[in-house]
Parts: sequence; C-alpha cells; structure tokens
Amino acid sequence: MVDDEKIVSEDMGVQVEKNENMEMRSFGTVKRWATKRSLWMVHYCTGCGGIELAPLMTSRYDMERFGMHPMVTPRQSDVLLITGYVNIKTLKRIIRTYEQMPDPKYVIAFGSCPINGGPYWDSYATINHLDKYIPIDLYIAGCMPRPQSIVRAFEDLMDMIQDGTADGYMRYKKYYEPYKANQEKIFRKWW
Amino acid sequence: MSEQEIAERIAKFPGADVEVLRKGQIAVKVPAEKGHDAAAYLKKMGFAHLVAVEYVDWIKENEFELVYNLFSYKMKMRAFLKVRIPRDKPEYITFMDLWPIAMTHEREAHEMMGIVFRKNPNLTPFILEDWKNLPPMRKDFDSRKYVKDKYDSIPFAEGGEQ
Repeated sequence: MVDDEKIVSEDMGVQVEKNENMEMRSFGTVKRWATKRSLWMVHYCTGCGGIELAPLMTSRYDMERFGMHPMVTPRQSDVLLITGYVNIKTLKRIIRTYEQMPDPKYVIAFGSCPINGGPYWDSYATINHLDKYIPIDLYIAGCMPRPQSIVRAFEDLMDMIQDGTADGYMRYKKYYEPYKANQEKIFRKWW
Repeated sequence: MSEQEIAERIAKFPGADVEVLRKGQIAVKVPAEKGHDAAAYLKKMGFAHLVAVEYVDWIKENEFELVYNLFSYKMKMRAFLKVRIPRDKPEYITFMDLWPIAMTHEREAHEMMGIVFRKNPNLTPFILEDWKNLPPMRKDFDSRKYVKDKYDSIPFAEGGEQ
C-alpha cells in the first residue's frame, strides 16, 4: 500500500518517519497527477450560484476539457462545490454529503456567502462562516463569481492537489472533534 | 366594471371601509369579527382566488394586521381584505372552509409571526429548522443579536481569530 498521505503530510510540515523510498514518492506524484486530471464534482447546488454552473458545464466554458464532470452521487465524487448561502437545513445536507464522499475529497466555497455570510451576514437563517463546520480547500470571492473564476479555481485546485496543499480531508480527520462540536452546537437535532 | 363601481358594491357590506388604491387594486378594511363574513362576501362577488395571506406587525399600535390578497379572474382585479387583531392575543379564525389553500398560508403566518388560526389542523413547523425562539418576522425579534449569540460565538475549529 502506497502511503500517499504520509508524503503529503510531510509537505504540511508534520513529522513522519523516514521510511518511504524514492519509488513510493514518485508513485505518489503520479497518483496525485492522475487524481487532479479526473475530478468528479457532486451535482449539488445551494443558493444562487448554481446558475453559474450551467454555462460552465455546457459548451461555452466546457468543464469537461479539464477532465471534470458532474456526478450525481457523493460516493463517487471528489469535489464538493458550495454555490451560495448556507442555512442550517442545508448545512445538515452538506455535512451528510461531505462525510459520504471518499478520500481524497476537496471543498470549494463559492461566492462571498459561505466565506463570511456576504449580504446575509445578519440573517437569522444563514450560518455565516462555513469553515467553522467543514474544512474548505479553496475560496472563490465575489458575488457572483463568473464562470471564468470557477475555471481559474479548478486550475488552482489542480495545482494544489499536485503540491499536496489541498489537505482539507486530512484536516477534517485531525480536527474532527472541534468540527463535530461546532456542528452539534447549532443543530438542535440532526434530522 | 370600473374600480369605483366594484368598490361601491363592496361598501354595501356592513362595516367595510373600502378604498381604491390604484388601477385594479381595492383595499377593504373590516373589523376582525366580520372578517370571515367579508371574505365569503368577496368570494361570492367573484374574488375567487386567494393569492396569499400577508401579515404586518404594527408594533406601536400593538396590533397584527392580516392582509388577504384576493384576485378575480373575471374582473381582473385585486382586493386586499385587511383585518387587525390584538398583538397580545394573536388568534384568528381559519379561512380554510372558503379556500383550502389557506391552510399553507396560515401555517406560514403561524411560524413567522406566531399567529394562531383556530380550526386549522396543520399549524406544524414549516420552513424554519430547529427554531426555539421568538417568531423571526416580529419587529421585536433582534436578528443581529441572534446571529451574534448563535453563529458568531462559535470558534473556528482549527483555531484562529474571528
């Protein structure tokens, strides 16, 4: 079994024992290169940003030239795109979706609402900071970001996967307790 | 038929205060106890469609206002039936016997404003999730304080400043 996570966690600055050899290291590079070239995105839209995904998926901006394609189930997906404001009802679905996705998985927060609330910062219904509840790899600022920004974000995400800096799923494991505590603080009941 | 003629016909209902707002819009104010009869009267006149039940919080006058937004396909005209109920005892009778869809509109008014509609069997939680506070559309509900207490007090899971 190739220990890809150890290599990546070494990049993060975490101490690991020096037992992996160069072959394993290069295999990890190839594996990450393959991962970044076949990303599957959960076909899930929240808020108003879903409207920007239609030109992105279709011929105008053509997401498929990056090897990306929407996937209808979270269990076969790699990327979760949060496309707008998140309220408590949606957050429960997002966490459920995120936890069903297999590793490695990446989250992109899209627009200003998941970053800090955006125009809904004082609304009783929307949670303001999404990164208090699940880890986020990449933010796209703007309201709304144009499809060009999303394309740029995907390119950045691919670079981050190659570098090993897209480590949200590992941070979720490392800080699992505080994340779960935060989620339970705002949910009265789960379903 | 013009707005004036229809307004005159509506004004025959005892206790109705009728006002033509603009083209195709008529406001009808009635006392709360006559609201149901007035709604039946308007429905008989041709205002057959209940578009929405709106609710206004007049906090200085200590009253809630219910606005029944009615539409007539024959006359191409809207009628706003307005009744006021006391804020301390927000109770009213359901209009489900006239328009069955009133059940859903009243369910929303119950959740967002806390108005209880007697004889409506379905006043269960509707849109809000896990809500245990004052109904959020009331004027005395402080949204910013709620956000500060509920969401902004949560720390970042991986540390760091707010």
